[in-house]
Amino acid sequence: MHVLIVEDEKSLHQEVRQFLLQSQYLVDSAFTYAEASEKIFVNSYDFVLLDLGLPGGDGLDLLREARQNERQEASFIILTARGAIDDRVKGLDLGADDYLPKPFSLLELQSRMQAIMRRKFGLKRQELTFGQGFQLDATGRTLRYQDQDVTLTKKEFDLLHYLLLHKNRVLTRLQLGEHLWGNVLEDDSDSNYIDVHIKNIRKKLAQFAPTHFLETVRGIGYRMTE
Amino acid sequence: MRLEAKLALFNALSKLLLVLLGALVIPPIVSRVAISHTDQRLHEKQAEVVQLIHRSGISTFVQGEAYADYNILKQEYITLTPLPATADTAAHTPRIFDEPRQVDNQIEDFRILSEQFSEGGRSYRLEIGSSLATVELLTDTLRRMALWVLVIGAALTIFTDAAFAHYLLRPLRELITRKLQGVHHPSAFSYTPLHTDTADFRRLDNSLNEMMSKIQSAFEKEREFMSNVSHELLTPVSILQSRFENLLQDPELGHAHSLKIVESQKTLYRLRNTVKTLLLIANIENEQYLRDEAVSLTSVLTDVTDELEDRLTQRELELQLDLQPDYVLPQANRTLLFTLLFNLVSNAIKYNRWGGSIVVQGRPAPQGGYLLRVTDTGPGIAAEHLPHLFDRFRRFQAGASAPEGYGLGLPIAKTIATFHKLTLTVESEVGKGTTFQLQFP
Repeated sequence: MHVLIVEDEKSLHQEVRQFLLQSQYLVDSAFTYAEASEKIFVNSYDFVLLDLGLPGGDGLDLLREARQNERQEASFIILTARGAIDDRVKGLDLGADDYLPKPFSLLELQSRMQAIMRRKFGLKRQELTFGQGFQLDATGRTLRYQDQDVTLTKKEFDLLHYLLLHKNRVLTRLQLGEHLWGNVLEDDSDSNYIDVHIKNIRKKLAQFAPTHFLETVRGIGYRMTE
Repeated sequence: MRLEAKLALFNALSKLLLVLLGALVIPPIVSRVAISHTDQRLHEKQAEVVQLIHRSGISTFVQGEAYADYNILKQEYITLTPLPATADTAAHTPRIFDEPRQVDNQIEDFRILSEQFSEGGRSYRLEIGSSLATVELLTDTLRRMALWVLVIGAALTIFTDAAFAHYLLRPLRELITRKLQGVHHPSAFSYTPLHTDTADFRRLDNSLNEMMSKIQSAFEKEREFMSNVSHELLTPVSILQSRFENLLQDPELGHAHSLKIVESQKTLYRLRNTVKTLLLIANIENEQYLRDEAVSLTSVLTDVTDELEDRLTQRELELQLDLQPDYVLPQANRTLLFTLLFNLVSNAIKYNRWGGSIVVQGRPAPQGGYLLRVTDTGPGIAAEHLPHLFDRFRRFQAGASAPEGYGLGLPIAKTIATFHKLTLTVESEVGKGTTFQLQFP
């Protein structure tokens, strides 16, 4: 996967870069409008992570330009801290594939990228297997153990799915909470909703098989292991 | 009432008053004029008769008996009557009076000039009469004519005045319909100058344009400022958030440090939410959101309860949605309305007792409009706190038992309600529960 990060804020650029490199992406960098325009014209990418307020121009123009170039098939994800309400609409109208307002979680960014890839390659079913015999179908939103259905609530399913997408990583309650409640502004950071969800998921899965793969990392969060 | 209507009304009333006054004043004046006109004619005739007598001698008229003459229609008569010698022979100034006289077996009222004079050693009385019926006929004609002139004049001026006022006020009407009505935001304002040569309207239009453009530029500056502030505040938060996430992935990181980072993440999360809330409130207050959808309350509330279903189950709360009938807010922003109702219901969950209930009830309001009530069975809010409930950054229950998040959910709700022209109020009874009420127009 070849990703171009277009971001003038050096520290943020560095963090995103480090994260993507660790996740085995091939990463290229642009810090200004001109640089980005040049790179998008010359190279072909799978993803362009696009900041809107750039030195030398507006990221939306970059997007417009790239969409007129037939050779460039990159998926664009807009990352912005600009407060303008219509940026999102404009960006999506111009052909952006997704829009993440800053501050965003890197894990969220990664799962959005995975979702875009799935859409792009027309993968109808995304099946994730875990434990001994659990099968999660992200498209049909079902969980099966061998031939039996496991019933989860909407939030429980989302939570389990997110943990599976980021297998072997410790996810903090905040990261999980943000994924579940990302569209809602809440200052409920100490809520124990996540713990209750995990407890319920464990209880439901344990009826079929041991759930040692869903680990609690004391004081920090949860991790899905093989 | 419109200015033009007021002017026309005043105009009509004043003209009516004028006509009434005319009807009252004209008859006496006219009859006085008619009488003095008659008197003058009698005097002239008397002078003529006296002249005739002087010229031709009294004997031409009076030979022993009285002399009388009247015209065929008996409108006028003249009599010369010799007076008995015993009578007072002194000459009198002519008197004028009204009296009935018999002329040819008919009694009629006459205006009479009577004079006594001496001629050739004898006294005579001269009477010249003019029929009062004739005088009245004249009076009537004059009176009618005067009234007609008055009424027609009044009607004509009412009409012309109204037409002129209509013409004169056209720029003002245009100003109101084209520039003021339906303009809720400076961007919808039309800056084309008004076509008028009335200096006052010109000035009004100019100052309106000037003020509007000032407001618009203030709005734009504000928007730009908010965008910059938002960028400046959220970028560092974003950097830190990414850095913490990367740090947590470091396999060499010790447990103690991981805990610190998780704590820092929480702190950052709080900062982030505060900034986002303030930006949200500022953006709503600066009219950066559109209200262009018709939104059904039931559909939004269904979304809200879907989102919150797990929390309800976790706290063993029973939620009852009871909207009879459903209400559709014609000009709304669905996302904001969702946030508003989400905050109210989520509040009712947070501040409820274990195993309690939440009732969301919607009914047509008795005073018109629609009333949505969200009632919980929580501990309630003390009366002294109620007036400050929607203030930003105020928290009441101090101590460890207080749930987080009292600070911003309600101010956001209030801001969104105001944006939609709804009234958000609260009632509470300590120990029983709290009800938030949304009054829809």
